[in-house]
Amino acid sequence: MSFRNNLESGAFVVTAEIGPPKGTDIKDMLHHAKMLKGKLDAVNVTDNQSAVMRICSLAISKLLLDMGHEPILQMTCRDRNRIGLQSDLLGASVLGIKNVLCMTGDHPNAGDHKEAKPVYDVESVQLLGIVDSLNKGTDMMGNEMKGGTDFFQGAVVTPESNPIEPQLMKFEKKVSAGALFFQTQAIYDIKKFTDFMKFAKSFPVKILAGIVLLKSAGMANYMNKFVPGINVPQDLIDEIKNAGKENALDAGINIAARHIRQLRDDKICDGVHIMAIGAEDKVPLVMERAGLL
Amino acid sequence: MIITKKRDFKELMGNIKNYKSFFLLGCSECATLCGTGGDPEIKSMKEALEAEGKNVTGSFVAKTGCQVLGTKVELKPFKDAISESDCILVMSCGAGTQTTVELFEDKPVYPTNDSMFLGNMTRMQIFDERCSLCGKCILDKTGGICPITACPKGLLNGPCGGTNDGKCEIGPEIECAWVRIYNRLKRIDKLEDIKNTAEPKDWSAHKKPMSLSAREKKSS
Ligand code: SF4
Ligand code: SF4
Repeated sequence: MSFRNNLESGAFVVTAEIGPPKGTDIKDMLHHAKMLKGKLDAVNVTDNQSAVMRICSLAISKLLLDMGHEPILQMTCRDRNRIGLQSDLLGASVLGIKNVLCMTGDHPNAGDHKEAKPVYDVESVQLLGIVDSLNKGTDMMGNEMKGGTDFFQGAVVTPESNPIEPQLMKFEKKVSAGALFFQTQAIYDIKKFTDFMKFAKSFPVKILAGIVLLKSAGMANYMNKFVPGINVPQDLIDEIKNAGKENALDAGINIAARHIRQLRDDKICDGVHIMAIGAEDKVPLVMERAGLL
Repeated sequence: MIITKKRDFKELMGNIKNYKSFFLLGCSECATLCGTGGDPEIKSMKEALEAEGKNVTGSFVAKTGCQVLGTKVELKPFKDAISESDCILVMSCGAGTQTTVELFEDKPVYPTNDSMFLGNMTRMQIFDERCSLCGKCILDKTGGICPITACPKGLLNGPCGGTNDGKCEIGPEIECAWVRIYNRLKRIDKLEDIKNTAEPKDWSAHKKPMSLSAREKKSS
């Protein structure tokens, strides 16, 4: 069963993330990919995440596909204009990649090539529209193509963005541009997320809640301070603190597992997207404790 | 106006080290307002060059340095001072520099400024970028705030995920353009202006080099 079919059948789906490394040594990445094999519905492959130059998401998506994973190709608009994006999408399609996540992408200012010229010829909403045209068999200009694509296209949303109204307006635009599923920014407050889901459920799209594994109280404080749209409530930070230094990661795994269980049992959303950020080897443990394995 | 910034003097000296004598040309418009090409700046440039053992044969502040014919007429009385100089230093924007290149084909011409952006002076000597000259203005659809310029990603359909309490992901010193646009349209009850998806921008309206004739076509 594919990621798309699973979502459409109403199953609770689980995705995680693989970040292509910087450089050609992919041993560690393959090791993590092996650990996750058979456990996930799909795996996101990030596209030069945080504007740090790495192996392209397309190549790694293909490698993972050959290993038996179902990749979700992340595509940002930062580094390619509309010709490059469409061309890479066609390439992904003939390589057998079925899922694409359309994003605008972090500004080069965040990364390790600050002098780069940012492209942003189009942006997330428009990229979704482009995928929709390719799926219908024409390029974005309406030119006939010899063979179209058959992508399952998704997008991202930040349910705790502040202010929220412009974010929700953009969410609606993404839906009308053809987004079929969403993976959210990390959420930690299930009650607030449930409110967001009340809004999101009025649209014909599937929502995967973003779960970022907390590794320490320091990490939580850092994200609260520096990562837009992430709010880790104080009681969770205390829970990790009280567990003591050695058990901080374990407490983080428990929190992630508990949230996933609640999201599934209370049927709050359609699945979760687990981002372990450097602790990919812990994803199976999170899933086990959440009762998913 | 065109916002200019003085080049580092050492960098400038590196560029012109082989020349001895100079004619200085400023501009009374933007460069004067920016403090990069008016009378006081010409005076201090002259002093700085002389302190380096260079010679200044003459100087002039053009009325509008990007107006080619007008500048040509204005510079007539300086013919001798210009021909005595080894090269011309232009203290205006890149357009003014190229006026001079066009008028003095046989003379080396060097800019003393970097041209930064098209913007407004919001307070004395404080400048903010306002327009990227995209060739097809969309201010009518964005509450009069330009997202192509004010949003570092030039987004057309709302804020990115990096927007943070009204600030931009690039840094807290930048207001998120899309929060500003949203708030302004809400205030004037025109949010419907941004409800529809903006299609990918037609950048062919900005194919370089651009050129435009504003002359009335003679009706035949
Ligand atoms: S949309 Fe912005 S960049 Fe384009 S002409 Fe208008 S103000 Fe200038
Ligand atoms: S935070 Fe706002 S201004 Fe900054 S890049 Fe994102 S949308 Fe543009």
